[in-house]
Amino acid sequence: MTKVVIIGGGWAGCAAALSAKKAGADVLLIEKTDMLIGLGNVGGIMRNNGRYTATEENTLLGAGELFDITDKVARHKNIEFPGHNHATLYDVCKVEPTVRRLLLEKGIEILLRNRAVDVVQEGNTIKGIVLANDDIIYGDVFIETTGSTGPMGNCLKYGNGCSMCILRCPSFGPRISISKRAGVEDILGQRGDESYGAFSGSCKLNKDSLSEEIKETLNTKGVCILPVPKEDVKLEKLDMKVCQQYSLKEFAENIILLDTGHAKLMTPFYPLEKLRKIKGLENARYEDPYSGGLGNSIRYLSIAPRSNSMKVNGINNLLCAGEKSGLFVGHTEAICTGTLAGHNSVRLSLGMPQLELPRNLAIGDIIAYANEQSKTKEGLKKRYTFAGSEYFNRMKSLGLYTTDTESIKRKIQRMDLLNIYNEKLI
Amino acid sequence: MPEKRLECVDVGSEFCPCYLADTNDCITCSHLQGKDFCDCNWRGVCVYQEYAMNGYKSKNSREEFISKIEDKKRISDNCTLLKLKVTKTLARQLREPGAYVFLRCKNSNHYFNVPMSIMDTDEVNGYIYIVYQILGSKTKMLDKAENEILIRGPYWNGLLGIKYLKAIKNGHCLIVAKGVAQAPAVLVIKKLLRNNNKVDFIVDKGNINRLFIRERISNLNSDLLNIIEENISSNTGNEIIKGKLENEDIDLVFSGGSDVLHANLLSIIDDLNLSPFMVATNNNEFCCGEGICGSCSTYLKDGRSVKTCKTQLSVREVVEGRIIRD
Repeated sequence: MTKVVIIGGGWAGCAAALSAKKAGADVLLIEKTDMLIGLGNVGGIMRNNGRYTATEENTLLGAGELFDITDKVARHKNIEFPGHNHATLYDVCKVEPTVRRLLLEKGIEILLRNRAVDVVQEGNTIKGIVLANDDIIYGDVFIETTGSTGPMGNCLKYGNGCSMCILRCPSFGPRISISKRAGVEDILGQRGDESYGAFSGSCKLNKDSLSEEIKETLNTKGVCILPVPKEDVKLEKLDMKVCQQYSLKEFAENIILLDTGHAKLMTPFYPLEKLRKIKGLENARYEDPYSGGLGNSIRYLSIAPRSNSMKVNGINNLLCAGEKSGLFVGHTEAICTGTLAGHNSVRLSLGMPQLELPRNLAIGDIIAYANEQSKTKEGLKKRYTFAGSEYFNRMKSLGLYTTDTESIKRKIQRMDLLNIYNEKLI
Repeated sequence: MPEKRLECVDVGSEFCPCYLADTNDCITCSHLQGKDFCDCNWRGVCVYQEYAMNGYKSKNSREEFISKIEDKKRISDNCTLLKLKVTKTLARQLREPGAYVFLRCKNSNHYFNVPMSIMDTDEVNGYIYIVYQILGSKTKMLDKAENEILIRGPYWNGLLGIKYLKAIKNGHCLIVAKGVAQAPAVLVIKKLLRNNNKVDFIVDKGNINRLFIRERISNLNSDLLNIIEENISSNTGNEIIKGKLENEDIDLVFSGGSDVLHANLLSIIDDLNLSPFMVATNNNEFCCGEGICGSCSTYLKDGRSVKTCKTQLSVREVVEGRIIRD
């Protein structure tokens, strides 16, 4: 039986594990921390704008399990905030254990607190993954979903230092680029000023530290918008963040809070003393990153060159997904690319043709478009998400954006791809 | 293939980052090697963060100070025991296996700095114990010291494979030591016993002609410690080692002696197709101890030169490096 080894247990890794398992592989998932879903433990925004379409597409292609979970543990559904429609906000405190149980039920082996540090290679084929404790995990096909964030030295050199985010590098050790260890050079994302990387786009406040009124608004409506004092409005901060879909003027002039269990603050960082000048936030404190008053994690420093079937160029048996596979933003993007990589890992091991999703599906198009753009200088300064910014405009102009599930189903049926991820190949 | 990532024994200590960071030659941190992105052999702290927090400069390096010689005892023709007064802090910093200091007779100049393994420490009263064998000009000059001596330390890379020593618990270990290398074996044995390991200690007096560490280990846990005195170059000695390895489930082997001893033990282990953790004395010639002068360099398979006064390598790499160089 094919043994698929996945490095990195974030959303992309979990999605890849599920689809590889469904296609018939023996699946082992390696995660350096003590929790799955990575940044998903502090994110929570689903189904906003074009993500709705992508969610429905991935579900109809046969991989709806993770979206079922995020829908089920949603705190708010169908909410609106500046520039964003029909968003679902999942409860970050409930989602990880549910995902973990699902993976274990499906028979996926999970190695937590094990950090991949190197590869054992024969020519252009990876034989095994070396762990920090010197153990070697052998496999037939490997999927890298280690992301592109951190570690500490990078967050310091390209940001404001380690801000103690959910990745917890000081405790669990740094992310290592597996593709780079295998000899493939990383692609680097840039900011508008051509410096490398970008700040993560949001931080989270402890909800209990906010005024009763704000808490009440968040709990009932899911969104709370507070004006920033004029002297503190900083439009230039919009350029430094990852999430270009939230790089809107409204996000600089207002404090936008979303209820994901914590109060998600839609800015990379915000000095605490300034934050506390705002009515209702007099006692505010950060939940993630702990030093959200100072900085945030730096991302996009480690992207692997890949094909549109998610295979890493130059290595015979390595695929990638999530942020490792492009300048993508978001859980939905990670789950969609992860699912495809997991499915294709089994095809690769069997010598079958790789599945490339057609470009008249939003998922197929974003994968191909991000790939094309990563080869251009300007493209490296952009981020690709169904949720907004350039790519959502593209979705709309190409007619890819819809919330009509039936029409998506008809399209996928026409392509003969309905439930393709549920096909057992081995 | 990217280069093998190296491991510096000083990472996490008050002496890290050191001068090597200032010159972009850090052993561990890729940023402090002039590279653009993180790719280190993580030891639990970020060296670059430490460097930045220290104002983008290295931390204070070890200083030399005068120590009182409390006791100086000739233990054989060419071998001397020193009991030196130090701060309790230094005694504590030197209690780990592999610890060493540089010593120098007060009226000699710095060319005469000579690295010496710590045999034992007394952290309660602030003493360290060192045994040296008179071999060349440095030890001859050192031998002239009477009431006071110059010390620089602490240094830690006197052994290779330290991480295995630190990690092993409730295991079974084979310690082989010869001649003056009995001295560094004391801290090794103490560490292993503290972690409830069974220790078979095969000791060869070598040309020192004395089991000078007897009094240091005789009061240790006799249920766990088994001392066998034998000439390990003899057939009998060889057979005992082989027998232990073959018939008992040995988790860790410590080789205290020359690189020839290390190589012999490795070849016995390979013949028996075993894979215990290997720990051995680091026999390279240290001169500055700071990874700068290069006297301790050895070569990796890829031809890279590595400063072994600070870099932790595997015993095998060092033994192989010797062969490549010779």
